[in-house]
Amino acid sequence: MVIVLNGSERRKHSDYFDQLFRLRHQIFVKQRGWPLPSVNSFEIDQYDTEDAVYFLDLDRDGAIQGTVRMTPTVKSSLLADYFPHLVENGQAPRSPHIYEATRYIVLPSYKTREALRSAKARLLTVLVEWCLSKRLSHLQAVIDSVALSSFVEITPRTTPLGLSHPYGGGRATPGGGECLAFRWPISLEVLEDVRAYGVLEGQPPRFADFDRVSRHASATQLH
Amino acid sequence: MSFEGDEYGKRTLDFVQRLQQLTNYDDVCRHITTELEWFGFTWVTSFSIPGPGCQLKDGILLNNRPEEYVERYAEKNYVIHDPVVKELRRNMNPYSWGDVREGRDLKKSERAIIDEARDFGARDGLIIPIIKLSGSISLFCPCGFEPNLSPRARAALEIIGIYSHHALTRAVMQKQREEVVHTPLTPREREIMQWVASGKTDDEIAEILSIGTTTVTSHVENAKQKLDTFRRTYAVVQAIRLGEISL
Repeated sequence: MVIVLNGSERRKHSDYFDQLFRLRHQIFVKQRGWPLPSVNSFEIDQYDTEDAVYFLDLDRDGAIQGTVRMTPTVKSSLLADYFPHLVENGQAPRSPHIYEATRYIVLPSYKTREALRSAKARLLTVLVEWCLSKRLSHLQAVIDSVALSSFVEITPRTTPLGLSHPYGGGRATPGGGECLAFRWPISLEVLEDVRAYGVLEGQPPRFADFDRVSRHASATQLH
Repeated sequence: MSFEGDEYGKRTLDFVQRLQQLTNYDDVCRHITTELEWFGFTWVTSFSIPGPGCQLKDGILLNNRPEEYVERYAEKNYVIHDPVVKELRRNMNPYSWGDVREGRDLKKSERAIIDEARDFGARDGLIIPIIKLSGSISLFCPCGFEPNLSPRARAALEIIGIYSHHALTRAVMQKQREEVVHTPLTPREREIMQWVASGKTDDEIAEILSIGTTTVTSHVENAKQKLDTFRRTYAVVQAIRLGEISL
């Protein structure tokens, strides 16, 4: 189940936010070695404001298995603030009709390829639906270049804003790599692409449920 | 450092935008090879590394390398010894033939494989690995006599490779969907193949359906012919693939 929380609800939903900031610390600071501000194993940055919107994909026990943060580019944009050189097509990195996705994590408790695929689709479907309801023109993101292929695989409408540039010392350095920026147009076509991606090619939709069933079964066995 | 206005960025974004409009396989191929020529890449092979039971040629999405080169490469089974291919075990980032040659000490035989490509006008090339979510690995490999391998050109070619690969995959799938024609099975053949799929012998099926074993055998043979196979097991696989039977 994917829930959408506003940055202004941080106190009201402190249990979810605590879990989120802890998970972000675990993934981005500890695993990927990014130099991010963190206090007491919480990773919170300057974009975690009241304007931010959080998408949390929760499993049966309320644990976060996927998340992404959306910020209005007019106020909060990693691309505009730190990576303006990634835009090479002359477009403005900020617009009232564009939100930016950051802190994207997909981490299903069963890490089969099928579970990963449906978890991604589940989170991104809600994300695109939300963007449609906000009447946005695009969403944008700064990603490690190795991830580009996976977004193009989801929708061929993924459009880069420029070529890759090294960050954090480049590919030879741990915690470094190459990054680029891309946009998704917010349209029913993209929504359809994301939904279709969640369904195995050539298989009836019931296959996607298989993961849910098997997870439930193993949870029952444990109790 | 600003690269705005530098030709690489603009070209590549234009390339992607035009590619997004194309769906026809031949148009996609032409668009890709034309763009690669600007960078000095005459030849290109784009393929998926075959999984068990699959042939290399089935995974080829696009290939315009000279036939003799490809044949010699396949015949001598170079793919096992080619240091450029072996490099994949340690590196999933894009790299050039030159990177491999300079990066480590190569055996004479290994260097010879790279050098042989010169006879066909290719002195250097790029390998762009693409990992699909299904776990399969695909490679986009352009090469040429004096290709442009500057850092900016490489950054451009990485994007060109990724988009080309996915556009080719989609175009090939569409082409296959249009091309798949098999003679449909008769209801009786379908019924019998369903029994074959559950492991029954012709004798057993004959008993179940109260017909002669030779009748069953001839139905199975007809079904095999329609499904374009010689083997019983593969006939079952094909029948499932084509939606004639289900499990």
